[in-house]
Amino acid sequence: MLLKDIRDYQILFLGLFLVLGIGTRDWTLRPELIGVAIATSLATQWILSLVTGKEQMANLRSALITSLGLGLLLRADCWTTMAIAAAIAIASKFIFQVGDKHFFNPTNFGIISALLLTPDAWVSPGQWGEEWWYGLLFAGTGGMILQRVGRWDTTAAFLGSYSLLEAIRNLWLGWTWDVYWHRLMSGSLLLFALFMITDPRSIPNSRIGRVVWAICIAGLTFILRNYFFISTAVFWALFAFAPLTILLDVLWLAPRFSWQERETDVETLQCNVSQH
Amino acid sequence: MKFFRLLTPLLLAIVAVFCFAPAAWAFCGFYVAKADTKLYNKASQVVIARDGDRTVLTMANDFQGEVKDFAMVVPVPTVLQKEQVRVTETKIIERLDAFSAPRLVEYFDPDPCAPVYPQELSAAPAPAASNESARKRSSDASLGVTVEARFNVGEYDILILSAKESGGLETWLKRNGYKIPRGAKQLLKPYIRSSMKFFVAKVNLDKFEKSGYQFLRPLQISYESPKFMLPIRLGMINATTEQDLIVYILSPQGQAEITNYRTVKIPSDTNVPLFVKDEFADFYKSMFQTAYTKEDKKVGFLEYAWNMGSCDPCSAEPLTPDELKQAGVFWLDDNSPSDVPVSPSFRRPFPRTSVFISRLHVRYTRDKFPEDLIFQQTANSEFFQGRYVLQHPFQGELKCQAGREYKRSLPKRFEQEAQTLAKLTNWKIQDIRNKMKLSVGNLTYSWWENLFSWLGLY
Repeated sequence: MLLKDIRDYQILFLGLFLVLGIGTRDWTLRPELIGVAIATSLATQWILSLVTGKEQMANLRSALITSLGLGLLLRADCWTTMAIAAAIAIASKFIFQVGDKHFFNPTNFGIISALLLTPDAWVSPGQWGEEWWYGLLFAGTGGMILQRVGRWDTTAAFLGSYSLLEAIRNLWLGWTWDVYWHRLMSGSLLLFALFMITDPRSIPNSRIGRVVWAICIAGLTFILRNYFFISTAVFWALFAFAPLTILLDVLWLAPRFSWQERETDVETLQCNVSQH
Repeated sequence: MKFFRLLTPLLLAIVAVFCFAPAAWAFCGFYVAKADTKLYNKASQVVIARDGDRTVLTMANDFQGEVKDFAMVVPVPTVLQKEQVRVTETKIIERLDAFSAPRLVEYFDPDPCAPVYPQELSAAPAPAASNESARKRSSDASLGVTVEARFNVGEYDILILSAKESGGLETWLKRNGYKIPRGAKQLLKPYIRSSMKFFVAKVNLDKFEKSGYQFLRPLQISYESPKFMLPIRLGMINATTEQDLIVYILSPQGQAEITNYRTVKIPSDTNVPLFVKDEFADFYKSMFQTAYTKEDKKVGFLEYAWNMGSCDPCSAEPLTPDELKQAGVFWLDDNSPSDVPVSPSFRRPFPRTSVFISRLHVRYTRDKFPEDLIFQQTANSEFFQGRYVLQHPFQGELKCQAGREYKRSLPKRFEQEAQTLAKLTNWKIQDIRNKMKLSVGNLTYSWWENLFSWLGLY
């Protein structure tokens, strides 16, 4: 049923951002490219599921989320680039697996592949503007509350450590605080923190593992952005630390996340809440 | 099999539309006027030619005052040596400005009674054809200031300074006769801490007088650094009003954009009333101000994005390879002699020899632009121009049925143009209508239309 699966909320929110984004006249988002991303993702998911016989058709939801993420974040000059990014993103789930878990975030993998392999892909970190920051924040946090089992710890650890690092730098450099807030108000940073590093299928299973992992990504993002002047730093940081998931999962054993266990997770969470 | 046969052309059509449509999309019409930087009495202009980490930055001075008082302090990422600094001609920036300025074009309606031939639909006769032509070390230890380099270039005395702390730099600059505005110390600190150097220029009065130049020529610096930014904070110290900055970014790839602010296209491609021809400058200024206010004063506007090999319609001829080199483009192949005319249909096959220009117009204030501008080049090869259209109605006699229908359709079209103009510029719709009546003549409004418009309802 609709909205029974928590991923439906994610699809709803990402879809909403896309519609609002395209609706605002000056965006560089191109609807036809988003269509290509969606079609390619779904087709790739379907074909690879058939071939490997592993995944169920229900996983088309994940493929849709991946393609919406690509549509939001990746820009390309030609549709083939978007198709390549989407196909690689989905394929990465089937290829980079340890046990039954893929460790690269598919959207992120698609973005990095397109940046590396094609000549005409880019990410526009500035295009979200500042007002969007609030919208994203409200919708995102709202979404996380709705999801309840969403990995809010990861987002909090990432945003917390990243903003702390930026605050220290700002203090040391002697910029006024409006510079600091402006640096944090990057829509793509928040979109990343709320919707990309929270994907439960590709991040460490244990809470401590996730927090360590998110802090590592925040640290690398900070270094890449401020010392190597890479505007797409967050995506590279996540890409670099994705394989760390395997190690963290071994270090801190925890039950693997599965969509079916959601009910019990919610119950546990409610128990925890009521106990406190 | 039949399905497949149907599918292939369909797929091809989709490929063609997605991939090539933006490139094939072309403007035409007669070029009439341009809105260049002369509209603004104080607009800084900067040309950035960049490929990879290599950057050539040209800074045009909008300095108005006694030449002896001129001094500039610009944070730069690396220590510059004499070979990395040169003086270029003001003309180059004027050429770039003219080439990329927002433009007014006009079309003339064909006779609606004349039989329609397909080729007449393209509406742009002879003059448009011309568009495609013409291609192509001492140190002051106590203050922590080190003079990394000291040299003369043209009429300028240049110093490259590095500093350990901002108070020392401020004192040093003051001792050496630079007038530093209040509050500079606070602003210099972050640049010192990010290990940036300071490019300091003063005018050498003797050389300036000998040179015979009346105005200060632009300074051009070359360096290699991953930093692709423009420090605007220093310029805002003693600014009381909004400042205009036009940045021309020349890239071998595609459009450039700002990464820490939104880049928005200036409203374009709209039909405006004919009287705008006489007041295009006012129109553009009002329109820019309206768009700027609407975007809450915190975006950068894209005014032009085009491959420099062509333009359509041209508000100035494209720059020659020599002129491009003077503007800082360093990646053009040297083996193509610039004096050989290039045929209009010739398209350079290698992207390395192409130059893509993005003209960004940033109007900034301290409260809306706290951070320095950071740019990036993208692969976006979409063309864009700020373009405003005058559509002249057919003036001849109309005797046929189609002609009568055409005439009946005109008032609605004029009204649409008036409303578009009012929306773009925030001018009063009634004033616009009044002016249009002067230029169009045959339009009258009923008493209730006038009443509604007076009430602001219509």
